[in-house]
This record gives sequence, C-alpha cells and structure tokens, in this order.
Amino acid sequence: MEEWLYIQNEVYPALLKGFWVSLALIVPSAIFGLVIGIIVGVLRVYGNRPVMAAANAFVVLFRGIPLVVQLFIWYFGLPYIKIYLAPFVAAVLGFSLCSGAYHSEYVRGALMSIRRGQMLAAQSLGFSKVKMIFSIILPQAIRRALPGCGNEIIYLIKYSSLAYMITCVELTGEGKILASNSFKYTEIFLIIGACYLAMTSVASLLLSRVEDRLRLPGFEHQRI
Amino acid sequence: MPEPILRIENVSKRYGKKEVLRGASLTVNKGDLKILIGPSGAGKSTLLQCINFLVRPDEGRIWLEEKEVHYAHKRDLYAYRQKVGMIFQDFNLFDHLTALENVRIGMVKVKGMAKAQAGERAVAELERVGLKEHTQKYPAQLSGGQKQRVSIARALAMDPKVMLLDEPTSALDPELIGEVLAVIRDLGENGMTMIMATHQIAFAGSLASEIIFMEDGRISERGTPEKILFQAENARTREFCAKIAEFYGEKR
Repeated sequence: MEEWLYIQNEVYPALLKGFWVSLALIVPSAIFGLVIGIIVGVLRVYGNRPVMAAANAFVVLFRGIPLVVQLFIWYFGLPYIKIYLAPFVAAVLGFSLCSGAYHSEYVRGALMSIRRGQMLAAQSLGFSKVKMIFSIILPQAIRRALPGCGNEIIYLIKYSSLAYMITCVELTGEGKILASNSFKYTEIFLIIGACYLAMTSVASLLLSRVEDRLRLPGFEHQRI
Repeated sequence: MPEPILRIENVSKRYGKKEVLRGASLTVNKGDLKILIGPSGAGKSTLLQCINFLVRPDEGRIWLEEKEVHYAHKRDLYAYRQKVGMIFQDFNLFDHLTALENVRIGMVKVKGMAKAQAGERAVAELERVGLKEHTQKYPAQLSGGQKQRVSIARALAMDPKVMLLDEPTSALDPELIGEVLAVIRDLGENGMTMIMATHQIAFAGSLASEIIFMEDGRISERGTPEKILFQAENARTREFCAKIAEFYGEKR
C-alpha cells in the first residue's frame, strides 16, 4: 500500500514531467536531424568539390566524436567563447547535428542507388540540376532511405537520455533523482525502461505507417 | 525549299584515348526522319546524346533553327533541351510518378505551366499515343511498349522541334515493337522532325528520308533508303544491311 502511494504521489508525476521533457527533446531533434541529413546527404553526392569536402568533414566530425563529448562541448565548452546555451538548447543542438550526420549517410546511399537514366531523362526535358534533385531524385531516394532513417530516429529516442549529463532533466534524469532519494533503483529503472520501450514501439509503428503511406508500385519490398 | 531545323557540324567525342565520335556532321530539315544504322559501338548513341549535350562533345558546333547553341550557358542549354525531345532505349520514366504525372512534370517544373492546364495537355498526349486508360498507372504497372509510349508522350508535351530516338524498340518484346513503331510512324506523318537510331530496317526502309550508316565513330555512308539498302557503295554497309535484314527485315 505504501509502495503504491509512493508510486502514485512521487514517481508518476516526476516521470510524467520527465517524459514531456524527453518528448520535447526528441521531436525537434528528429525533425532538424532529418532536415540536416537530407541537405548534407545531397551536398555529399551533388555538391561541387569544396562543398562535398565540407559536408564530408561535417560527417567525420559529428559521427566520429562520442555524443556525450559533443554535448559537453556545446554546454560546458562554448561559455569559454562567451556563448551560453540553455541545457535544453545545447541538447537539441547536439542531437540534431549528430543525428543529421547519421541520416546523411542513409540519404547518400539512397541517392546513389537512383538509376542514371532518371537523371538523363530529367536533363533531356530541360530540368536544371536543382529542380532535378528536388522533383525527381529526392522523392525516390527518400523512399529508399526511410528504413535507415527510421532506425536513426529510434536510436535518437534512446540517446536523448544523455541530455541528463548536461543538466537537462528528462525522463532518465528524473528517474535518477527519484532513485537516489529512495534507493529503489530496480523498480524505478524498470519503469523507465518500459517507458522508452513504449516510445520506441510507438515510433516504429508510426514509421511503418509513413512507409506504407509513401509506398508506390515499384518501390515495395520484394519478397522472395 | 527545305528548311533546316538542326545543323550539326564536326561533332567529336573521346573517352580517354578512344575516339567514339570523329567529326560527325548532319543537317536535318523540317519533317525529316533520319535513321542512324550501324553496328554497336559505331557511335550512334553517342551522337544522339551529344546532340542534346547529355554527353558533352569535345569539338563541334550545333545550330537549332539557325541559332547556335551555347551549351556552356546553363540557361541556353536548358531552353535548348526543351526543344529537343529524347527517347531512350530503356524508357527512363520517372519511377515515382504515374503516367500522367510523368508527362505533366516537365510542363509544370520546367515550363512553369499551371498544373491543371498541364494536366489536360498530358491527358491529350497520352490519348494520342493510345494510353487513355492508363493515365493513373505507375511505370511498374505498365508493359514495355506502354512505358515507351508514355515516354514519347512526355517528350511531345514539351512541344519539341526535333526528336531524338535512341533505339526506342530494342528493349521491347517482339510483339510490343509494333505499337511503338506505329506511334513513331504517326509522328512522322504529322510532320515531326526526327533522328532515330534503330535496327528496324523495314521500318527505316519505308519511312526514312535518309539513312545514315555509321561505323567507328564516323558517318561512312548516307543516302535514300533505296540507295543504302539496295545499292550501297560501301561493302561494309551492304554486309551490315544484309545481316540486319535477315534478323529484322521480313516482317513489314
């Protein structure tokens, strides 16, 4: 009974608050990450030499440094050059850039899988390069990149827990505070684990809905 | 009085040391159907792709309606390509668009036409190639012959001055070739100017205004169908024509 009251009065409100913070971190990071990924992916395939090199360097940097270290740099490092970011802003920035670097790799692979004939046909109709990329290449490439990008979004949901490391108290952070007060580590982190599992399950359901919506004849899974 | 539409002078292309096109020149008058024949690797495809600069020629100049094409200027190049329709051997329909959208997209995105107006025109063009019932189908749901007819409608919707056809029936099953050739014949009868690479010798014989035999990147012989098919001067031309007549010639 006492347990139940503790959960009802302390755990539930704290975790609910944390959940909303997590969601507020995840949703914009997923959107910005995807946008950055598409832009960087396109530049890596269709940019001129310097642009391509810059986009590649972006990926090397943000994919190659541990995310926690990146977050520390945004939050604890930038103040040295007089830039002060709120924990929430630093976290969204760090997540978006890192996520974008990974998305760009999926987008790049998908862009390279588009047959050359699609481009020849667009060019022969008088399409400029930019129009060709936006009207012909990307709509096809996005469909092929979707499974990979969905994977990255699922991953983002889980690494959003790192925001706690730079004092942005989200779901995991709230849990940590509760647990260190009550010493009920097992119970609380089991609940938190279940919360993340629920979030990733809902996300993968939504992602497969999106895949279904965008599915066209000729782009479906080939069952063998 | 013949009215020249397209003039090609001394177009050449090298890939590394290999010369795939060595100084091809050609004048195409309004309403002409020029047929390119020759063994594979002769440079027919390269010549066609050089004409609308899908392949950049190393040398040579091209005029459309007596205006030289300055292909280094992107805007000139894009404007020129709108006036030169291209049909590919493997169709190259946009896989993510329906037949109707395939025909419409160039008018909307390149010419800046309103969607509704472009849609009406697209339906009309699809009707013209006999695909009224298939406007809402995706490329993956169409047969090869239907796909090629959509691609012809897509090119026609841009109101081209001249059409380049690169072996338009070579990727088709034999029973589908006829429907595509019928559409091309129709175009010719309505006065469309065309340059077409093909092995369909019977088709060439009955409709070409000139047959051009290419070999090793050169135009080695040219003339009326009667001359090229029956009285060619060049032994190699005679041999080639005899060979393709054997494979493609009987069914008229």
